[in-house]
Amino acid sequence: MGVHENTYDSSLGAYLLLLPTLAAIIAFLYYPSLQTLRFSFFQTFLFGQNTRFVGLTNFTDLLGSQVYLTSVGLTMAFAVIVVIGSLAVGLLVAFLLYEVSDGKAAYLIAAIWPYALPTAVAGTVLLFLAHPSVGIYTHYLEAWFGIELDWFTVGWQGFAVVTVAAIWKQVGYNVIFMLAALNNVPESLNEACRLDGIETWRRLVRVYLPLMSPTLVFLVVINTIYAFFGSFALIDLMTQGGPTNATNLMIYQLYRDAFQFNNLGLASAQSVILFVLVAGLTFVQLRVSDRYAHY
Amino acid sequence: MSLDTNDIATDVRERGPLSAIADTQVLPAQWRVHLGLITSVLVMASPLLLAFVMSTQTVPEVYDITDISVGTDGLANYAEVFTRYGMASYMFNSLVMSIVVTVAKIAVSLLAAVALVFYDFRFKNAIFFLILFTLMFPVPVRIVPLYEMMAALGWTNTLLALTGPYVASATAVFLLRQHFMSIPDSLVESAKVDGVGPLRFLWKVLIPMSRGMISGLSVITFIYAWNQYLWPLIVVSDQSKQVVQVGMKYLQSVGNAGQTDWGLIMAGAVLTRLPPLLALIVFRGPLLETFGLSE
Repeated sequence: MGVHENTYDSSLGAYLLLLPTLAAIIAFLYYPSLQTLRFSFFQTFLFGQNTRFVGLTNFTDLLGSQVYLTSVGLTMAFAVIVVIGSLAVGLLVAFLLYEVSDGKAAYLIAAIWPYALPTAVAGTVLLFLAHPSVGIYTHYLEAWFGIELDWFTVGWQGFAVVTVAAIWKQVGYNVIFMLAALNNVPESLNEACRLDGIETWRRLVRVYLPLMSPTLVFLVVINTIYAFFGSFALIDLMTQGGPTNATNLMIYQLYRDAFQFNNLGLASAQSVILFVLVAGLTFVQLRVSDRYAHY
Repeated sequence: MSLDTNDIATDVRERGPLSAIADTQVLPAQWRVHLGLITSVLVMASPLLLAFVMSTQTVPEVYDITDISVGTDGLANYAEVFTRYGMASYMFNSLVMSIVVTVAKIAVSLLAAVALVFYDFRFKNAIFFLILFTLMFPVPVRIVPLYEMMAALGWTNTLLALTGPYVASATAVFLLRQHFMSIPDSLVESAKVDGVGPLRFLWKVLIPMSRGMISGLSVITFIYAWNQYLWPLIVVSDQSKQVVQVGMKYLQSVGNAGQTDWGLIMAGAVLTRLPPLLALIVFRGPLLETFGLSE
């Protein structure tokens, strides 16, 4: 029950106000999503000119394809590393921001600006700075550690560079939400910890983390969705799925099948798989957190 | 933290910074926190600082990898990407897209939130759920039918295709609804007694009362729209209609003839990230407040 809901009593008026939103979500969200499901049962050929109902063939083809299964595994690994990495870095920075007493406002803006960083810019800048032959980062890493880096040809290195770029871009967002959660810790609790002389790191792990758990669950869900869907620009600008498919994330494979090979049915089936995976992961994360998080 | 260090901090503040320098054995209070923050801020900012420096360099200077001094090319790279490589039109197109998405999304969501808070009607909860559930359908989940739809409507390469799919927003409706529900009863009652219609009520009372929330949402939406990459890449094929994120990709291939002109590409990257960064800095107050974090 809403608080003001008897202010106006024309149902028609309410529907009229909702009309633009409803029209937009039906036309651009629900209708195409259902169409995706329908397309996934068809095969397209002759550059999308002809279609034929093939039942579950697209799905069985995908699940029998080594390339696709590798892409699924790769995406899972990518998501786990990006979620853990961006949460860990975000937590560290948020905690430092919470602790500092002088210059808080300046540090805050200096720490959260990557929130406004376009993924395409993150990808382009790191492509150059970490470039195997002209990149300054690569140059110093090679000079200092005496190693040979070439992420244009070595698979795991390409994967590592893309992962670092994805984490970098996501940290600002996590810092904002984590700091908001830290600010909600009651001041009295802080005082108690200080008086008891509890060390800083202990305080973070034992006191703050449990209190932040609702925010952490929210961020795990958001970061997972980001890892699955938001990294396309990085792949497209930095590695194009290579070297030898080492960064061929599911979203990139989907893009290639749909818009380079015109395999619309197969691509739609991949959309359905992505949706089921992300929806399932979100559900599991929420269920697990129900058990452990302190709301 | 002991009382002593707090005293020193106050002491320094009262006597001014010079005395602290004179008092060499006294480190500022919390020096570890400051060191940690400065390090992490620098690590996160270094790619963009380097990108800016390199954007002022000539090609030979860029290829002298360890040279990180400001180059002799000045702002020539910027002038060149603007005049010769279409950066001006990419940025203009992005600006139009982002402003249209922002204004349309806020307007449409305001209307929906008024209906959801100030009216009582059948299927209200179902409709609210239907709006929130769209969060499960990011663009990649419906990309193939969405593209087919734009092609069938003849909307490809138009502003309609670039902006239409972004108009409806679960997040904006949700946040505005929360905000309206917190408005005091007395205000709503007086509007009711005066017989003020819903649109007038929205314009005269709700919008002025929600300035902070609306500016926060506008910045979030603007940054989000400006940073879009995948959808414009697919739905716009005419380079003169393209947005700046995909423009980065074109710039990469143009600069790749012979020796890649990375200075030029970095100038493009710096320009591309400027508008969202400015929006973040100028509107950081309302932005952080919308995220539940006030300075």
